[in-house]
Amino acid sequence: MSREDAPKSFNRRGFLEWIIAACSAITAAAMVVPGLLYLWPAAKGGKAEDVEVKGGENLKPGEHSTVQVRGKAVIVRRDPGGLAAYSAVCTHLGCLVKWDAGKEQFLCPCHAAVFNARGQVVSGPAPAPLPEYKVKDVGGKVYVST
Amino acid sequence: MSLKNGITNFLDSRYDMETAGGFLKKQLGKRLPPHTGWLHVFGSLSLFLFISQTITGILLLMYYRPTPDEAHKSIQFITAEVHFGWLYRQVHAWGASLMILMVVLHMIRTYFCGAYKKPRELTWVTGVFIFIVTITFGFTGYLLPWNQISFWATTVGTESANKVPYIGGWLRYFIRGGDVVTGETLSRFFVVHVIILPWLLTGLLVVHLFLMRATNLATLEPVDEEKPLEPKYGIPFFPVHVCKESVVVMLMIAVLVTLAVVSPWEIGEPANPLLTPEHIKPEWYFLPSYQLLKYFEGPYGAFMGIIACSVPFALLLFWPFLDRSKYRHPRQRPVAVSVGLIGLVGALILGTLGHFSETNQTFFGQRYHIDHYGRPHRLEGGVQSETVPGADSAHAPSGDAKPSH
Repeated sequence: MSREDAPKSFNRRGFLEWIIAACSAITAAAMVVPGLLYLWPAAKGGKAEDVEVKGGENLKPGEHSTVQVRGKAVIVRRDPGGLAAYSAVCTHLGCLVKWDAGKEQFLCPCHAAVFNARGQVVSGPAPAPLPEYKVKDVGGKVYVST
Repeated sequence: MSLKNGITNFLDSRYDMETAGGFLKKQLGKRLPPHTGWLHVFGSLSLFLFISQTITGILLLMYYRPTPDEAHKSIQFITAEVHFGWLYRQVHAWGASLMILMVVLHMIRTYFCGAYKKPRELTWVTGVFIFIVTITFGFTGYLLPWNQISFWATTVGTESANKVPYIGGWLRYFIRGGDVVTGETLSRFFVVHVIILPWLLTGLLVVHLFLMRATNLATLEPVDEEKPLEPKYGIPFFPVHVCKESVVVMLMIAVLVTLAVVSPWEIGEPANPLLTPEHIKPEWYFLPSYQLLKYFEGPYGAFMGIIACSVPFALLLFWPFLDRSKYRHPRQRPVAVSVGLIGLVGALILGTLGHFSETNQTFFGQRYHIDHYGRPHRLEGGVQSETVPGADSAHAPSGDAKPSH
């Protein structure tokens, strides 16, 4: 039996070609996987913790402030009943809501979503309420946990 | 020996210049179908604008700095201090819009002339990818000035990714480089805009032009009945069609410079992550999708909206394989022409509603407030903020100011 007539599975050249192709694929995968992982954003979040709100001690009853807590926009409001903190990010498409003191509602300037004082949806396209965050007053200083 | 002879001898003794010269001569002298005319220049104009965007983009890169602290300042510096910086920035900003317009016009001509049919299906498919890449250029470039409009338009645009079930959160996190739009997002968009997309579009254009040359331009004859083009009836690519293209390219340069001078793009206020401006709107080419998304509400509304916005692109991509009719002439293709017209008119209506939504307008002497959905509400002397949530006279603009770019 000549070399050309030998079954392909036992062909030495074919076997070597298969080995080289497999090694090339493994090498390519080994290069691609770290590359894809490299593109995944490096986490900067970490566990929730109390973060002091700058200027929080100056908030008077009825006043509010929009602040960034660990990169997240948060509305902190001081009511006669105490402090409240809600995510300022509209659950529709991510614009920042504003507190309308006259109507006691959160309004989204982008697509007219309206939330009540407890962050519940009143009208508009928002699919979910505004997330509420823990907030506390320690010796006059305001701390929010996101 | 003259310099020209010296160069010719140098090349001839090293390369097969006869074959190369023959190829070039064949391409320049290629005969185009007799009906090739002024409507066949939109593809060339798109190519010209891509070259213009590349050149002006490289010039802008000399001074632009892609960081949150410096991006907006560097745009101000380019506009105010750099010699002719204002011109290149304006030509780049207007060129982006015009390039998308030319690609759209090119696609409309191709669609209604049935030029996507066999044997040119893959030329059309690569064209649709070129369209998608061109729009992505617009989306990624929009953020780079790092001003209020660009920051919040990107926030809204990337938030849409979050509406995809199961993987939406990861998708948004990956696109933004984090939970919210930050400097990480700016870096990502910058790299995609100036490195990845230009090379991707160059590759697509090479394949698109190669396929176009290989199958020549389509006639209006039915599929498989195209008669071989007799050289004496064809239009020579050079000089006849190239002359037409030169004329429209010069007109396009005139349009670009005129727009740059008479209608410049504002730089806008620097991005403020703690203040969303009132009634932000996307560029004209995103207005139909922007408006369509508004009609889908509820827990899965945004996702259904994304599906609805994706359907036209899927239809475009697969249309050559869905439309099995062999005819190319518009009069012999009532279904395809109707689908095309419905799509175009629908996009125009949605775009117009999106443009006028959340503004006050006067029609026949009567003031109206156009709400979020594009419905007019008659005004009696002022905006009825009680009946139009989120709108008040201080914030509802009378029209759209052109944002920065």
